[in-house]
Amino acid sequence: MKSVYEYFLRDLKKWLRGRVFVLTALIMPAAWLVFVGMALPTRFTDNYVGFITPGILVMTMLFSSFQGGSLMIFDKVLGFMNKFLALPSPRESILFGKIAFITFRGLLQATVILALAVLLGVRLPGIAELVFIYLTLGVFGVLGAATATTIALKVDDHDGYAAVNSMISMPLFFASSALMPYRDMPEWLRVLASMNPVSFATDTVRSMFSGTIEIGGIAVLAVLGLIVLGVSTYMFRQATV
Amino acid sequence: MSVIVTENLTRYYKDLCAVDHVDLEVGREIFGLLGPNGAGKSTIVKMLTTLLRPSDGRACVCGHDVVKDAVRVRESISYVPQEMALDIKLTGRENVVLFARLYGVPNARDRTDEALGLLGLADRADELVRGYSGGMRRRLELAQALVHEPRVLFLDEPTLGLDVAAREKIWEHVHALKEKGMTIFMTTHYMDEADRYCDRVAIIDRGKISAIGTPQGLKGEIGRSVVTASVSGEPGAFSLEGVRLLKVDDHELVFMAGDGADALAAISQELKRQGLEIHSLSVRETSLDDVFLQKVGTPEDRSAFDGSKYRLMLRRR
Repeated sequence: MKSVYEYFLRDLKKWLRGRVFVLTALIMPAAWLVFVGMALPTRFTDNYVGFITPGILVMTMLFSSFQGGSLMIFDKVLGFMNKFLALPSPRESILFGKIAFITFRGLLQATVILALAVLLGVRLPGIAELVFIYLTLGVFGVLGAATATTIALKVDDHDGYAAVNSMISMPLFFASSALMPYRDMPEWLRVLASMNPVSFATDTVRSMFSGTIEIGGIAVLAVLGLIVLGVSTYMFRQATV
Repeated sequence: MSVIVTENLTRYYKDLCAVDHVDLEVGREIFGLLGPNGAGKSTIVKMLTTLLRPSDGRACVCGHDVVKDAVRVRESISYVPQEMALDIKLTGRENVVLFARLYGVPNARDRTDEALGLLGLADRADELVRGYSGGMRRRLELAQALVHEPRVLFLDEPTLGLDVAAREKIWEHVHALKEKGMTIFMTTHYMDEADRYCDRVAIIDRGKISAIGTPQGLKGEIGRSVVTASVSGEPGAFSLEGVRLLKVDDHELVFMAGDGADALAAISQELKRQGLEIHSLSVRETSLDDVFLQKVGTPEDRSAFDGSKYRLMLRRR
């Protein structure tokens, strides 16, 4: 547990000392919120920015998580993993430290996006709902960070990981309920979207915004997260370079 | 008691045999693994540090099996890999404290101060590593490795890319550690350093140990002196007692001999007898380079360069 905190602290310090990059990661979701949310002519709602805010919050977590996989690639390519894997502290704490940092960073970024949404006129729900929104985003972040970090453990270099990242994160986002309601989707997309973890997270957050606390989605995400965590832990224990 | 023992240690990368049934026994000493690039040095170190699983055979470090007792092995060792991996956005102290905490040493702060002091980094400990020189970075890595007082220290090419003074300094530290009872297992391809600082060396080529012993002993095996003669004319056959013609290069003849002074006279006499004109004649002591060239051969002797296998090795190293 202590070593998880040490790994977390290492990544956090490095991130905070990166200065510019602390902000640049926010441009993409902010652009979605402003340029798509404020501008897209939609028929099903007259408050589109309000509709996609939950989707953009989940997207912030999704992209941030998958971006976080490159931390593992860096540690591997630069030789840090060689040193860490030869240490007596449990190897899975490397994984947990990464997940903790990536999720924490994602939640900070989501907070800024949420503040921006409020500036754009989106109404915040009550405190209880807000807590559950963060819980949903957190669980979803853990799921994403564990998946990304484990993929990164098996991928050789930056190019490979960038390819995997764009192959997974963009389609996951588009094939979800983040941008449009199920009833406006073509049938094939509806099927895909209803099986997509991004939709589970988005739907849950959306229900919180409309004032109903619905924890079914969180439960599904948590179960998925635990499964991925189990697999990742096993893979880290067995890891070789 | 042996600190490191390997029996038939073998590692394949696909069908490339990087390490081929290696038997080693290392006690409390500075042990150097020498060999050309891609000979399997780093692969052996990675198996001993539990980073790679052997394909066959076994290895024990401090009595613990590297596969079955991996955690116990990791508790007894420190490993400094070839690539310098330091967080340049963190200070020297932060880099070391991280490892102290990860090793779980009590009083991480104090141990860090001690390690930094030992390696002469105390006065710059609170600067970002970004500003450190290559030599300082390597010493910082040693400080990281030493915060937990390991029984065995693995160093993979510890002096690679450092200037002479920095290399000297690294070796002083390594020597001091050995005096304190630590076992140091290192790889290098600087023969002169291995000669000066290692208690024993093994020369490894294409995954196999081709020679093992003290630097003195290995040099003695092939003859203590090398005589080089530059001549004009066509040299004939040589049959002198205690002298061996090693190679003929244009107009340069290289001999191996047991006793340099005696051989010099005999060789000069023989060259004159053959009617050769001697331009220069020199004698020097055998170095590990000579042993290496004798045991491993020159790069030209080696089988054709296999690009794909080489790249595979590089990637997996």
